[in-house]
Parts: sequence; C-alpha cells; structure tokens
Amino acid sequence: MNKHNKHIKFVLDNEIVSIDFNKDPHLKSTTTLLKYLRLLPNHKGTKEGCAEGDCGACTVVLVELNNDNTLEYKAVNSCLVFLPMIHGKQVITVENLEESGKLHPIQKSFIENHASQCGFCTPGFVMSTFSVYKSGNLVTDTVIKDSLAGNLCRCTGYRPIFDAAKEAISDIKPDHFSNDEELTKNQLLEIKAEKGSILIEKGKQIYFLPFKLTEALDYKLKHSDAIIINGATDTALRVTKKNEFLPHIIDISHIDELKEIIDTKDSIIIGANLNLNDLRDLVALEFEALYDILNVFGSKQIRNLAGLGGNIASASPIGDTLPVLMAYNASVILLSAKGKREIRLEDFIIDYRKTSLADNEIIKSVRLPKTPNNLFVKAYKISKRKDLDISSVSAGFRVILKNNIVNEIALFFGGMAAKAVRAKNTEQFLHAKKWTLENIEAARRILFDEFKPLSDARAEAEGRKIMAANLLKQFWLDSIVK
Amino acid sequence: MNKQTVHESSEYHVSGKAIYIDDIAESPELLHAKVYASEIPAGVIKSFNLEKAKRLKGVKAVLSHKDIPGVNQMGPIFHDEPILSAGKLEFVGQAIFLVAAETEEIATEAISLIEIETEETDAIIRLEDAIENGELLHPVRKIECGSIEKAFDEAENIIEGRFHTGAQEHWYLETQISLAIPGEGKEMKVYCSTQHPSETQALVAESLGVMKHEVEVEIRRMGGAFGGKETQANHVAIWAALLANTTHKPVKLRLSRDEDQKMTGKRHPFLINFEAAFDNSGLIKAVDVTLNADSGYSSDLTMPIIERAMFHAENAYFIPNMRILGKAWKTNLPSNTAFRGFGGPQGMAGMENIIDKIARILNKDAAEIRYINFYRQKDNNLTPYGQIVENNRLHIIWDKIIKTSNYYKRREAVIFFNSNNTYKKRGLAISPVKFGISFTTAFLNQAGALVNIYKDGSVLVNHGGTEMGQGLHTKIQMIASAELGIDYKSIKVNATNTAKIPNTSATAASSGSDLNGMAVKDAIIKLKKRIADVISNHFRSENNSSCTANDILFENDYVIDKTKPENRLPFAEAIMIVYLERVSLSATGFYKTPGIFYNTEKGKGHPFYYYAFGMSVSEVEIDLITGHHEILRTDILHDAGKSINESLDIGQIEGGFVQGLGWVTSEECKWDEKGNLLNHSPDTYKIPSINDIPEDFRVNLLTGYPNPNTIRQSKAVGEPPFMLALSVWLAIKDAISSVANHKIEPEIDIPATHEKILIAIENIKALLNQ
Repeated sequence: MNKHNKHIKFVLDNEIVSIDFNKDPHLKSTTTLLKYLRLLPNHKGTKEGCAEGDCGACTVVLVELNNDNTLEYKAVNSCLVFLPMIHGKQVITVENLEESGKLHPIQKSFIENHASQCGFCTPGFVMSTFSVYKSGNLVTDTVIKDSLAGNLCRCTGYRPIFDAAKEAISDIKPDHFSNDEELTKNQLLEIKAEKGSILIEKGKQIYFLPFKLTEALDYKLKHSDAIIINGATDTALRVTKKNEFLPHIIDISHIDELKEIIDTKDSIIIGANLNLNDLRDLVALEFEALYDILNVFGSKQIRNLAGLGGNIASASPIGDTLPVLMAYNASVILLSAKGKREIRLEDFIIDYRKTSLADNEIIKSVRLPKTPNNLFVKAYKISKRKDLDISSVSAGFRVILKNNIVNEIALFFGGMAAKAVRAKNTEQFLHAKKWTLENIEAARRILFDEFKPLSDARAEAEGRKIMAANLLKQFWLDSIVK
Repeated sequence: MNKQTVHESSEYHVSGKAIYIDDIAESPELLHAKVYASEIPAGVIKSFNLEKAKRLKGVKAVLSHKDIPGVNQMGPIFHDEPILSAGKLEFVGQAIFLVAAETEEIATEAISLIEIETEETDAIIRLEDAIENGELLHPVRKIECGSIEKAFDEAENIIEGRFHTGAQEHWYLETQISLAIPGEGKEMKVYCSTQHPSETQALVAESLGVMKHEVEVEIRRMGGAFGGKETQANHVAIWAALLANTTHKPVKLRLSRDEDQKMTGKRHPFLINFEAAFDNSGLIKAVDVTLNADSGYSSDLTMPIIERAMFHAENAYFIPNMRILGKAWKTNLPSNTAFRGFGGPQGMAGMENIIDKIARILNKDAAEIRYINFYRQKDNNLTPYGQIVENNRLHIIWDKIIKTSNYYKRREAVIFFNSNNTYKKRGLAISPVKFGISFTTAFLNQAGALVNIYKDGSVLVNHGGTEMGQGLHTKIQMIASAELGIDYKSIKVNATNTAKIPNTSATAASSGSDLNGMAVKDAIIKLKKRIADVISNHFRSENNSSCTANDILFENDYVIDKTKPENRLPFAEAIMIVYLERVSLSATGFYKTPGIFYNTEKGKGHPFYYYAFGMSVSEVEIDLITGHHEILRTDILHDAGKSINESLDIGQIEGGFVQGLGWVTSEECKWDEKGNLLNHSPDTYKIPSINDIPEDFRVNLLTGYPNPNTIRQSKAVGEPPFMLALSVWLAIKDAISSVANHKIEPEIDIPATHEKILIAIENIKALLNQ
C-alpha cells in the first residue's frame, strides 16, 4: 500500500491550514467543521441551530477546484461535514465576506432590506445567498427560494430575506474573492499536488480518505468493518445527534471515478457520488420523475453533499429516491477488489435499512435504463412541508399501456412499510385491465388495504393509507393528461 | 427620526460579529454542563448512585437535589417546580442531576454513568385523559356577562361542538443557554438568554441561598425567544449557577436542539367546547365556551395564559350573553409556557370557528357574519369582562382591506374556480384581531431606565427590556434620539443588566417599547431639565439672553435658546458645561401604566390600557389528493398606532403572521403513550420555510390613527399579528367545505396539516354519501 499522509489541508482565511489530528488535543477525524470553526476565535459567526442539517444556521461555502480549472462555490451545512471531507477545499465563512472593513454587497443588502431580526440565522442565509452570487448565473425567483429553503428563520417571515437576496443577486459584481481567484487556485493546486491518500489514526478511531477507487476497494477488502461515507448527511447524525463513536471510516467523497456520468445508447450510468444538485440538472429532461423528486429532496446544502449511492445504501423505509429509481427500473453497479456485479435496485434493498451490499463492496454507480416512449413514469412525495422534509408517503410508478390496456405496471411506495415496497396486489388487479377511472377507483380500494403502515411523528397509519391510495389516482390523472 | 432606521445590530448580524452567549470568549477554566433528565413520565426515584460519574476523569461536579444550597424551587408564580427532582418524577425530560466537566463530551459520558432506579406509575399524557382524570392545577376561572340561559332559551339557532388546538414549539434559533461565572464571596454573574433577567436573578439567588444583590444577570441579545425564554430560561441559568457555585469555576450550559424541544414547554394545547346561539341573520346572541388548557405538570404561566385566552374568547365581536370558563388541567408533560399571543390565539380560534359554523348553517359568506357581529363604536362595545372597547378601528380597517384585497371579486373568482376544478379547491377568508395590550397582572406594568450622558456628549441608555430580535433597542435608541434632539448614532443602548435596572418585568405581552420607552423618556426629561437649567444660565451670563430653562430647545444635536436662536451650543459642549457646573448627568426613569385593574373573582375590570387591531385576508389552494396547500395571497392591514419604526413594525407583522401560519398548518407535536415527544427535532417538527409563505404577500400599516397616551403615539406590535394567521386556517376550511358545496362544516383542528386536510375531506365525502 502507498504511503499515507496523516494530515489534512485546506484553505481558510486565504491561507493553507494543515491539521495533524494527533497533535491537536481538541480534534478528532469525526469532529465536524462547525465544531472546529467555533473553536477558532474569529469564526463564531457560524451558528449551531440543530446539528442535523435541518436549519442552515451553520451554512458555510466550500470552494472546489474543478478539473476545468474553475472554482465552484457550494453551500453546505458545516454541522454535517467531518473535517477530512474539506481536504483540498477552501472554506469560506461569514467573517470572510467583509474585506478590510467593507461589507460585501450581500451583507449590505441584508441590512438595507431589514432581513435580520434576532440575527442568529442571518450568517447562514448570507452564506447561502453568497453561493448563488458566486455561481455568477442569472437566476429566477424560484432558484433563489430553492437556494434558501434549507435555511430556517423564525423571526422575519422570510419576505425581507428573499428581497435582500434577490437585490444582491440581481447585481453581481466581481468581489474580493474574484480578485483572489488565482491565489486560491494555486493554493488548492498545491494541496492537490501532494500525493498519497490520507489515513488518520487517533486513539481507537481510524479514518481513511482515499483518492483512487482501487485504494478504496483494496482497503475495504482488508477492513470489512469500516463504514463507508460520502456526503455523510445521514451518517454524521450518528455522531452529532446520538454521540455514537464511529471506530472505522472510509470516506470515498474524494474519488473522482465515483462522480462520473456515462451516457450509453440504452442507459445512463450515474456515479454513486455525483452530487444530487448536479444530478438534478442532468436528468431534468430525460428523467422528469427523478427530477421532480430531486427538486424536493433535502435542501440545496444537503444535495451539495449527498449522492445516490448513500441514499440507496441507507435503505431508509422512505428513502426519497428509492421508489422513483425503482420505477425507472434502475440497477446498482457494485464493485469490490474481486469483481463487479449489477443488481436491480428492487432486489438490492432487502429490509429495513438493509441491502445486499457485501462487506467488501462499494456502490460504484446506478444505471437508469432510458425509457421507451410508451413507458409512463411519475413520482410523488407527500410531506408536511414542501421543502426539506421527509415524506409521509413517497411513490414511484410506471405503466405501459397498449390500446389503453395495462401491459405492465409497477407501483413503488416509501413510508408504507419497513422498506420501499411494491404494491403487488394492486398491480395484479390492474394488470391487463382497462386504464379507466372505474378500475383505478377499484384498485384504490385494494391499495388502501394492501399495506399496514406505522403511525409515527410524520403521519398516522390512516393518513398514510389515504395518501397512498390518492397517489394512484394522481398517477392516472397525470397519465391521461399526457 | 427615520421610520426605516435599520436594526441597531444588523451590521453585526450580517457579518457574524453579533455576540450571543455561546460566542463569549471562553475562559480556559470553563466547564461544560449537561443535565440528566427523567426518561419516564411519572414515577418515583427509588435510589441512585453518582459515584461512577463523579470518578470519570475531567468531571468536576455531579449534583442532585441534595446539593442545592437554597430552595429547590423555580416556579415563577406558584412554587410548584423543583429545580431537580427530589424523588417525584412528573414528565419525560424532567431534570434530576447536573454534571459539569472539562468538555461537553466528558459531561455527556458522565451522564451515561449515572445509576438510577425508578418506579414508574400511571401517567396522563392526553388532554382528554387529563379532563377525565379531573386534576385541575388551580380553581376554574370564569367570566360572564348577560344571561346565557335566557339567551339560549330564546335562540333561533343553536350550535355546539368542540375542537382542539395543538402545541407549538418556540423554535428560537438559539437554544436555551446560560453562562454562570462565580465572583468573590457569594457573587454570581449569569449571562442568560432570558426575556426576564430580574426573575432569573431572583430564582438563581433563591436556589443558591443568597441575597439578590449577589446575583447579576446580563443579556445583550437573544437568538429569538417568542415567550419561550420568559420563564424557562430560568432553568438553565439556575442549573449553570448551581454548578458554578459548587465548582467555583465558570460553567456554560447550552441545551442541544433535541434536549431543548424535549425538556421545555410549548404553547398550551387547548380543547375548546362551545355552544352558541344566533338569529337567522347570523347575529350572535350567546356563547358558552370552556377553554381547557393542557398545563403540563406545573403551573408556570398557565393561569395568566388562560386568563388572556378568556379575554380574547370573543375576539372582535360583541356577544351580549357570554360565559367563558378557563380550566388548567394537569398532564405529565413539560410545563407549557408563554408563546407569542399568550393564550390569545387559542381563545380567538375558538370564536372564529364558531363564526364559520354559523355561516355554513345560514349558507352565508363567513365575512358577513363577522362584520355584523363586530364591536361597534357607541353601543355594543362592552366586553364580557366589563371593559369598553375604545378607539375601535375594526370598521376602518374592514372598509380598507375589503377594498384593497378586492374581497368580493375574489370570492366570485374562488367560486368559479371551485366549480371548474375537481382536485384543487380554493378558499378565501378574512379574519380580524382585537388584542388587549398590557400585562393582565396589573403590577407587572412598570419599567425602569437609567440614562447616562458622558462628557463627550455620548449617551448610554439602560432599560429593563431585553432584545430578542424585535428591535426594542433600536426603538429605544430612536426614542432617546427624538427626546434629546441628537443623532441616534450618539446613543447606545446597553446590554440589559439587573445591576443597572432592578426589579423589572419580563419583556413580554408586547409591552417592551410601551413601558421601557416611557421610562427612558422620563429619565431624559429629568436630564433635559438639569441641562436646561445650567445652559439657560449660561446663555444669560455669556450671551446676554434673558431666557429661562423653559426656553431651551434640544434639536439637531444642539442646545438652543428659543428666545435668541443664534445662541446655540453643540450638545457635547453643553454637556461639558453642565459637568463643570457639577450637575449630575445620570438619571433614572420610571413608568407605570395608569388605570389598569382586574378582579379575578368577579371576572370584571379594565385589564388593558388599549387594544391593537388588525385584519388579514388569505386565499389558499388545497390539493385534494395530497392534502398540500398553497397560500396564493395574503393581505394584511395592521394598526400599530403612529409607528416609531415602520420597517421594524412590518417585520413584526410579517414574522408574527408566518409564525402563526406555522401553528395553524405544519407545526405538530405528538407524544407517545409514555410521554415521549415524537417531534423533538426539526427533522420531524416543521416550521415554515421560505416556500411556505404567501406567494403574494401584501402587508400594510394603518396610517393616520395615532394612539393616544403612549410613547410617541405608537402601539405594541409584537404579538397581535400572530393571530392574523387564523385567516389561513379559515381559508383552508373554506376550501375543504367547497367539496360539499359549503353545506357541511369541515371538522378540522389546529394545525391543519396535509394529513388532517385529507382526513377532513374523506369525512366530508362520507357525510355527503350518507
């Protein structure tokens, strides 16, 4: 095995910062970026509101150097980011926006629009706005709102925040980050030039950060106990919320091969770690149902970190992308040091938070077959709140009609059982029947009793049954409109 | 004074420089605290052993109730809340032990090493069960007017029913936090995110067994509060102070989001039983309503909250015969507490629900029923508790908003839309707010101030109010600027500190500016008098003027001789002259609201100094398949008197409204049968986000109607707008009722979640098919 580095490096306050975990008594590899920033004297503007990525008060911007030598500014929840994840990136916090005593145009706009009251959420909103500002793109109101939907404010009612963000974004000018761009690129390149993956061993905790897929696979073969993380938007909660000790981690977020997209004649193969914002843009035209779901998946900050691989591997009973991917008949491509296999997603998910992933395997990518013209796919999500909420019920449906007769149908639901499930009885009833409202109503009655969902914090069993049955009707309505 | 002056801290907010308690530079000696809380809803502690926890390296103190040097009590009014359980366990999340350690991680580990044996007993979790169980925390409160029996006997129509309003979590962005720093001897300084520093000071002193002058409480700003830090900030302050007292080291205690949601109280859930009599035109003749509040395990502020709910149970309507009962039921949940509106929202929701039901029965637009029942100007203006509704703005606001919102045209459009759509339905509703301003406990309506002028002419204002984002300090700065005639930038408002202003009331009941603004003005009047004496003398001797103190003006940063305006001194120069004359440049101010009283026994009095009014019109669209709703448009016209700062007031209105719409739509608290809160983090507890506000949101202040006898003729604006959000709930009901062509009143509680909307639709369809 190659020689490993023991430290991580990133750019903060225009300087390359190196952390050797064994020399710093306060830091562990699973220390979050938020905790780290709050230990520094000059970065207390980054706030903890929930420590679970649901409020955005801890939003900072991570700057990545893309392969085309451009810088990309991504808003993330610093409470969900383990320190090694920022290796090779620049961290920008609210304190960095000011330059020699002069406020950034976004900050001025927030003041002038009365966009802060108690001020606790404000740094997060400023940073989310900043990431849009730095994208340099002309954006619609919807995009602004989408970028701010991962930030909660309890005082203002949002109207002035939206106005402030819109005003700032409508007049994007070069700022001091633009002036420092070359410096930043050189710093990030300098870090990148250091060869060798990173292995942090401190106390009883091991954190492995490989840059190549083969390294990850070799390591996984030897250390089957190690858990895999990418965006860690789910796993981080085990640390921040449950105070769990994670003894052994492989962080595959720095492996470029896992972010590739391959477009073949019959399918598109999506790297497991491609972030969900990029994926959303990619599938907007060809896989509309997936696009619809990704639009209401988490928040911009979460989607910047998360990939399909993690969402699939977590095998949540709701797992917002699972029903829709199943409806598209997606399959999962798995790799180990010993070989490769491909399995239908539907078969890959075994039970409550359980998959058939072997100890030595990593999810490489997800294959989405291109849909034939006569295939109709839709996906739905019902939740208490539109944005950044987990579904009460989610669904992904596909149907092939021939002369208005059901030739093939698959109905997948999240939130109705211990795992994402297929409504087989309902499907069976509809098969070879006419695609009419009368038959749909009859099918709805079957569907209503097909599952025995739980009552929990999000919805009651009764409500879930109504929702599931209603979604079938929505599917029918959408199909006849089409 | 500029009506759009920005929040005094906004530059710090946007740059991350605003210092909240968790941002105060930490001493290397600082210890971090954690609380061990009950995991059972009811029971007793059989035994416990703290030795393992105490032996863990880095642990500096593990305390039980036996280690409290003073009184084991932290109830704000009634003394029924132990600081740490002395054996009886009454809710999940009740504090039993405290730990202080070198790091948060060690403190957390120590908590896991505490050994305790408990015996669980039966718990009452649901309000319905509490009512059946019959344990009231305090005697039933009653307000009655006219003759209920007679009115019901003679009634043309009678309706009855019941409905439920849910708990609401405050969800201030900054969770409860305190930093306690021991001083010399018995001194304790506590930085606490509290709306009520004086009470925090008092309870910390009592828990430590020291006199109150040993304890100093300070708060520069809170990261939101909304009532949640009126009494329940005291808990963390006391816990931190006890640990600091034992260890003689600074101790910080910050609740995590989950701890905060599990351990602290919420807006009281209410079960409202009602009966109403009305004639065929929709005129209400009598209302009999019982407001059942879920108090949680102890009193906290439940009684004044119930009282305010009762004072608002008729909302904006004249009810000639009314009986209002208020009941505080005990459950095994954290003690519910103050939350913006303080019972008002629950009381008003009950009334608005009655109006809706009447409208459905009479097949009329609910707006019509609302209008004909409004309090009037010269008659029909007496509240059930005997206060006359003076300066009634209901009709003025109604006339304006009906026009600007284009209500009747849009009603037609909604009817048209609904007749052309099967799976989407729209609803429209107007709802009024009449909200009484003052603490209903008369003695609380007092405030103090201390204004210091320094030799360079800069002014430091201290007052008893606290800044939680509402912009109180900005308004105070503006008031001081206007009164002193100097630029507001020369004025600084200090952190609130009990050593500067003693014996203050909570910053609550929307009263912050009303009370503290007047107290600051009082201090400034004293200072101006002293300055005028010295400077008029100066002008007489130096400038050959014959002016008196009464001729001295304070304008544009100058002190001016009115009789000879060329005689003027820059404010700072004038101040130096006053100083050299050995005259005090520091003055205290005081204010008490006149004419307030209420007799609880009789249910009569004059509890409010004045009323604030407002109305909103909301239009929603619901999706009958998913239960999702969208607020297409909301118009608000709100009465803030002569606004001191229009931007801040608009901010309160919009923010209050959106918080209210969270209460009526997406914010839902559920407990399991063991008293565990299921929605204990933002993962499952959903406050509104940016996409949940009205797509078209038009908020305006009523102009041209100054408020007599208040600071700069303004009106309190903190709470009233919260209840404007009832128009959203009523519009959702209107949309649901269109499924049955408005023939059936939808039975839907607060909050109207997507799920409850779906169930209400199913129920209506089932009734239709009967």
